[in-house]
Amino acid sequence: MRIAVLNNCVPFLYGGAEYLADALARKLQEFGHEATVIRMPVRWDPPERIIDHILAARLLRLPNTDLAIPLKFPVYYVPHPNKTLWLLHQFRQAYDLWGTQFQSIPDTQEGRAIRDVIRRADNEYLPEARRIYTNSKVTGDRLRKFNAIESEVLLPPLLADSAYRSGETGDAIVAIGRVNDTKRQLLLVRAIKHCRTPVRLIVAGKTESGAYASAIELEIRKHHLEARVEFIDRFISDEEKIELLSGCLACAYIPYDEDSYGYVTLEACLSRKAVVTCTDSGGIDALVRHGDTGYIAEPEPKALAAAFDELYLDKVRAARMGAAGEELARSLRINWENVIRTLTGSS
Amino acid sequence: MKIILASSTNVFVRGGATFFVDWLGHALEARGHQVDTLMLPVSEEPNALLEQMAAFRLIDLSQHGDRLITVRTPAHLLRHPRKVSWFIHHYRGAYDLWGTRYQTLPNSPEGIACREAIIGADNRGLGECARVFSNSGVVRDRLRKFNSVDAEVLFPPLPEPNPFRPGPYGDYLLLFCRLAHHKRQWLAIESLRHTRTPVRLVIAGPADPDAASYVDELRVLIARYGLDDRVSLLSRWIPDEEKTALFAQCLATLYFPFDEDSYGYPSLEAHAARKAVLTTTDSGGTLELIEEDRNGFVTPPDPEQIGEAMDRLFSDRALAQRLGESGPERMRELGIHWDHVVERLLA
Amino acid sequence: MKIAWFTPFSANSAIGRSGRGVVEALAGLASVDLFCFDKDALHATSIPVRRFASHRDISPATLAEYDFAVYNFGNYLPYHLDLFEVSRRTPGICVLHDFVLHHFFAAYYLEHHRQSGEYVAAMERLYGAPGKAAALASIAPRGQRVWESDQSVDFPFFEEVITGARGVITHSEFFRSRVERVWAGPLRRLPLPYAVERHDDKTLPRDRLGVEPGRLVILTIGHVNPNKRVNAVIEALGRVRASVPAFQYVIAGPCPDAYRLDLEALARKSGVADAVTFAGRVSDQALHSLLEHADVCVNLRYPVIEGASASVIEEMLYAKPVIVSDVGFYAELPTDAVRKVDPHSVDHLAAALRDLLGDPAPRTAMGARAHEFAAEEFRSDRYAAQLLEFAKEIRRAQPILAVTDRLAAECARIGVTSSMSVLDGLAATLEELFGNPPPSTSR
Repeated sequence: MRIAVLNNCVPFLYGGAEYLADALARKLQEFGHEATVIRMPVRWDPPERIIDHILAARLLRLPNTDLAIPLKFPVYYVPHPNKTLWLLHQFRQAYDLWGTQFQSIPDTQEGRAIRDVIRRADNEYLPEARRIYTNSKVTGDRLRKFNAIESEVLLPPLLADSAYRSGETGDAIVAIGRVNDTKRQLLLVRAIKHCRTPVRLIVAGKTESGAYASAIELEIRKHHLEARVEFIDRFISDEEKIELLSGCLACAYIPYDEDSYGYVTLEACLSRKAVVTCTDSGGIDALVRHGDTGYIAEPEPKALAAAFDELYLDKVRAARMGAAGEELARSLRINWENVIRTLTGSS
Repeated sequence: MKIILASSTNVFVRGGATFFVDWLGHALEARGHQVDTLMLPVSEEPNALLEQMAAFRLIDLSQHGDRLITVRTPAHLLRHPRKVSWFIHHYRGAYDLWGTRYQTLPNSPEGIACREAIIGADNRGLGECARVFSNSGVVRDRLRKFNSVDAEVLFPPLPEPNPFRPGPYGDYLLLFCRLAHHKRQWLAIESLRHTRTPVRLVIAGPADPDAASYVDELRVLIARYGLDDRVSLLSRWIPDEEKTALFAQCLATLYFPFDEDSYGYPSLEAHAARKAVLTTTDSGGTLELIEEDRNGFVTPPDPEQIGEAMDRLFSDRALAQRLGESGPERMRELGIHWDHVVERLLA
Repeated sequence: MKIAWFTPFSANSAIGRSGRGVVEALAGLASVDLFCFDKDALHATSIPVRRFASHRDISPATLAEYDFAVYNFGNYLPYHLDLFEVSRRTPGICVLHDFVLHHFFAAYYLEHHRQSGEYVAAMERLYGAPGKAAALASIAPRGQRVWESDQSVDFPFFEEVITGARGVITHSEFFRSRVERVWAGPLRRLPLPYAVERHDDKTLPRDRLGVEPGRLVILTIGHVNPNKRVNAVIEALGRVRASVPAFQYVIAGPCPDAYRLDLEALARKSGVADAVTFAGRVSDQALHSLLEHADVCVNLRYPVIEGASASVIEEMLYAKPVIVSDVGFYAELPTDAVRKVDPHSVDHLAAALRDLLGDPAPRTAMGARAHEFAAEEFRSDRYAAQLLEFAKEIRRAQPILAVTDRLAAECARIGVTSSMSVLDGLAATLEELFGNPPPSTSR
């Protein structure tokens, strides 16, 4: 099949969605399809420009294409008779982010009218897709809640086919990934302070702001945790990541209210390691079942410390959780073969 | 400089324009610029033309990049305050092919109005460009005639780095391009029949999808004139290594398409391999590159006269070498190199 | 170009009579088929006539082979019902013969569909709260019926037939400008085509028409109702009687008895009872003869509900001086070809009658000028050519219109309303892109 993966784009920005779109096209090619990524530029401000781009998407044609797989607003409006939506997200400022600090459209009569147009466009045009998949339960729930549109979850696999492996169950909790406010690594450091066992913490990843890095450093020094917390403030290569996960006690991933399950969660599962997350972390619970594949703790230091201690004290159980995590990940079929088969309707 | 490179694509049809954009992108990046390439989908279907033009117009890139370079029509309709166009062809069915059997719009009041709307919109988009460049003198003339736009010719060079290398001046003439009737491989065979020397001919290139019967005709022609041992017909995709070898070892090349817009990459490839180009007076764009008795021969499309030129080259290898070695100089003279192209586009 | 011409073509229909000349002229320039739903006898014509029992017998596929459907709209439900239904499904060029189509739509919603709710909804949709209120009053027991009052010009209802049309033709400038206020599509005023056949051998003598010898003949033709201002004429005649030669005022057209009794009483009161004749409905031959014998025609309206008047044109073509109200279509006629009077002033009317009855010279001069103007202005062949030119213009506008329509449809779907500034931006973008296409460089 000739398949067009549709993504929106802000010129010169390359982020998660772009990686995913490129990986999807590459994988489609590996599975014998002709695939290409089509990027449509968008502009978010002034807000009325958003409507221009909704309309632009409606007026575009997609010739020579057997299947269109759009990922994002507003490019998912491009008409095509055979469209399968893999929704990463809607324009959240018009939905759950309306009324929060992230609301980019002014709360004026015109602004509310624009918000309503965006919602109505989703209501009107999204059902044109033959099938709708979302990248997470959260995205799907939002689509049901705001637009009364049903969808199925299709979890995105890891972008690279790295060989995760399971080594000895060690004595450190690892937290890998971008270090910032919403990922809450500082909360992990504070948890260590409350641990009764000598469990250690390794925070590995690049900080996005100097202020947050300093806050972590300060917390470590203030509570004399230098021996128990290791902070590797730089980009972590795939190889390092595999190594860290392989030998850890468990992995901690506690972002605030994230849609997706988090790649690192899956990477931990594939390394047969338990995962600690929080009750307000969002989509992570796709892979973390409390007491089974890891812990879902309250987002406060003592609760996290309790989880770390339990893991440290019963490494056999920790290993069993890791194994259960891997089994869960496999049963969820978070792999490209499943994604390609599902999106192309050949499963 | 941050440069947005925007073009249109008839999705999944990889033609000259697609390569052109890729090569330009690489050349810009090689000179330290940051490039984001956008290929927006367009259908050639007449009913879709104006809607697509409106879609392009609604897309606003003006917040991004220090420069927008537009290539294939109707990308010049995109909004940007610092826009230049390297215009490679019109929507020809509404321009120079109007009134011929290749006219794509009906000759009705609607068709005429659509054509006028296309011309009007092109005038608007091109008029906004700080500069308009064309890829050939033919296209420059059309821009002047139909749009009253004065374009500067900027000949497209081969991609960097190009793999072509000089080699011995062998005993065969090479005609390397797609096998299609208007590329006139048949004229080469007809001409060979009139030669008095044992010069050989190699015709190489993939056949157009609808040109199977044409290839058969060529075979019949070769057999009829008893030229089987002097003509090699390689009707297939030629891998790069084989292609460069064919160019490196030929005596000279032939290129006489009927009335083409541009000089064609085969002529540049020949010159990159220091080979002369034999072309005809009715070939169109090649005449902008090839000068009689300097970097090739220009003869009338007459088999006897072409045959005579073939004999001259075979009998006088020094001549073939002299003409071939003049090629690079002629290319420099016309500014057919990326330094010139990039400098002009960013001026 | 291939045209499907929808019209009532019954021998009784004035629209059909006016259209016959046009379609015949059109047939010389394009391919025309005449579509009609009439049950009774038709005007004779050389044009191929396709007769249908109902709009249901015509599918959009039938019409797809034509470049245009042209719909001739009038105010009479039995003639125009099926034509209206077809026009809903296959938009075409609407020719508006009447300015007020309220009778048609009142009958359409209240009698044909028996849906008073739809009538009220349509009135509200077109005219807002005042429309709704007037509609509710109309359907109330003993309420004021819009279509029976002068209010109808405030709620003319023509808007309903042109929604979605590909083009609109009116026959007067005043009506064109009214349409322009509510409709942005292709619009053109063309003079109403009309022709008369004057056969002297068919003219009946005066005595056969009840016209006394030696009297000047003043003539008013057509249905008699308050809108025609016959009462004002009678009053004015009373005032001028003493100062002009003997005359007879003939009113040729059906008149409800009650109204005739009122008018007869008025004539007695005005002292002209002996000079006013109600001829009632007359035959075509009698009408023709009366027009031949008439010295002055009076053709008043207030308020104006027609888009143009065939009867005035007919009188002008008979080379008669015509007194008209200085409103609507009538006001647009040249001042030397008709005598225009203030519709509210009996004095004005009396002065006009005095001038024209008192002296034969201005009568003859004005009649001659009327004929000269009407014969040139209301020509079918020119109408046909201009209609084709208009059709061609619409076709030329079509490609850009298609883009505008598509965007408008998408905007409607997602609730972008005219109150949002984005719509202005969108219009500006299209204008910028396609606003002024240059003339083609080769043709």
